[in-house]
Amino acid sequence: MQTLIAQVINGLSLGSIYVLLVTGFNLLLLVAMIIHFSYPQVVVFSMYISWVVLRATGNNLVLGVLAGIASSVILNLVSAPLFQKVMARRGEVDINSTMVLSMGIGMIITDVLSHSFNQGLPVAFPDNLASDKPIATFGVISIVTGQVWSLAVGIVSVALFFLLLYRTRPGRAFRAIAEDPAGARLVGIPILRTGLYSYALTGVLGGIIAVLLSMLLGSAYPGLGEQVAHKVLAVSIIAGLGNLVGGLVVGLLLGILEAIVQGYVSGSWSNAIAFVVMLVVILVRPKGLFGSRL
Amino acid sequence: MPLELYYFLSITAVNILLSWALYLPYRVAHLHFITVANMAISGYSAAWLVMTLHVPFGWALLVGFALGALVGWLVSLFIGDAPTFAVVIVGFTFIFIVRTVIENLPAVGATMGIFGLPNIGGNPETHRRIIMAILAGMLLVVGFFLHRFDHTRLGRAAAAVFVDKDLAASLGVDIKGLGMLVQTVSCTIAGGTGVLYGFIYKSFHLDFFTFALVGIAMTIIFVGGYATPWGTVVLAPILYGVPLLFPSWLQEWRIVIYGAVLVIVLVLKPEGFITRRFVVTIESFLSGDRKRRDNPASKEDV
Repeated sequence: MQTLIAQVINGLSLGSIYVLLVTGFNLLLLVAMIIHFSYPQVVVFSMYISWVVLRATGNNLVLGVLAGIASSVILNLVSAPLFQKVMARRGEVDINSTMVLSMGIGMIITDVLSHSFNQGLPVAFPDNLASDKPIATFGVISIVTGQVWSLAVGIVSVALFFLLLYRTRPGRAFRAIAEDPAGARLVGIPILRTGLYSYALTGVLGGIIAVLLSMLLGSAYPGLGEQVAHKVLAVSIIAGLGNLVGGLVVGLLLGILEAIVQGYVSGSWSNAIAFVVMLVVILVRPKGLFGSRL
Repeated sequence: MPLELYYFLSITAVNILLSWALYLPYRVAHLHFITVANMAISGYSAAWLVMTLHVPFGWALLVGFALGALVGWLVSLFIGDAPTFAVVIVGFTFIFIVRTVIENLPAVGATMGIFGLPNIGGNPETHRRIIMAILAGMLLVVGFFLHRFDHTRLGRAAAAVFVDKDLAASLGVDIKGLGMLVQTVSCTIAGGTGVLYGFIYKSFHLDFFTFALVGIAMTIIFVGGYATPWGTVVLAPILYGVPLLFPSWLQEWRIVIYGAVLVIVLVLKPEGFITRRFVVTIESFLSGDRKRRDNPASKEDV
């Protein structure tokens, strides 16, 4: 029983990161109207930038965190004109071609990481960011700093994000574009500028996720982005594309499922089991459990 | 045949077949990446049959085709009419699952892979000739099928689904049936291609079936042009061959170059280099049909 509780705590920490990722992914989908498949690769790239800055500054946490957030925002804003150009060329919203473009960006990021940083080997984050020393222990249950931070920051970030979305003027603009882009344009909402805000906002979110992932996992490797990208898209599809509340529920559930499986099944099979469950749900309900918002 | 030429031609043929296997379902807007997983399933199964049960290569190849078709058909029962992004994620998930199963199966060499596959026909030269002959035959058959497909009612139905699914349905197109057909044929092609891919190198390793392979095929299709099968034929040898001329330090950046080319082409020329209009113009020049050349959007060309 204690193992189960320990794994549920692990799962909530991991799930909160999935929730943040899916929320960022869904925001880009609803407002910028793109499937940014490589959004998790942007996050992993930011983890690497944090690692470089931490090494260069003698593990200065503030600079490391700021560098992670800045790189994520910059990468998102740099890719924005590419997505806009593809849609302008097509003369319509075409989320499929944005997905292919995003996959191309993902290919570049993953391969750059495997050639340019630490000779392609995994990078380990310093103890002051990713300590695995427990801060509390109850029997076999031990809680480490990374778990507490990812859960706490995850909850606060999602709460702030929903507050922004439902209680502020820019949030109303985001939702208006998501509901009806033509109607939003008609009432004077600047579509392009609001779309750019969504890139910047998801960039900030991506930087925060990079820091949390670094704290929770303690390391990063070039293929991490691809693996997380598939899970994020799967969670998004299972929840229903663009469904923010559905993403919250399914993201947490996936985190808990993965952690429980890892607690009872050895090594590489655990990931496969999570993928099999996702596959079955997608095969049975390809349009999502909570209904798509597209 | 020199060894370098053999590898260039055979891997180019594999890239063309894999890209065609992705091209066909993309006619109904399905990016069916399960083809890469199918290559691994069929390839490893055929290698196991040959190495463990000493089944002749010809039968193992047929089993590869059949397994590809079976897996493709079974999956298509569920996602024959699914949205593009659902098909994409099913493909990627399949690749992950298949890779995990293979790396945990000692019977197929787990993480070490299968090495030392026998020469077909007894000696290396005959082996290469047989592989090249089969690949050439497959290219002709699949190429002819794809070319004809685009000029049939089914091909036009697929084009209608690509442009507007709802409109196609209201015109009486069986969306799910068509999706199942193209997905099953695509997986059949991938199954056979997977067997040949490993037998070219006389070994199977998980590194053959990575997401980089998906990236290569995707670049070939979208840069070459996704509306005709000819873009693939032109781009596959260029994309595989040109990096071979680079110095070795630059060859390591091959995937970055592919990614950059893909992004640039999608932004500047989203329909790719070989468009439907371009093919129609060439066809009409060859046939001397001036009317069709001047009006490429005629009934035959949609």
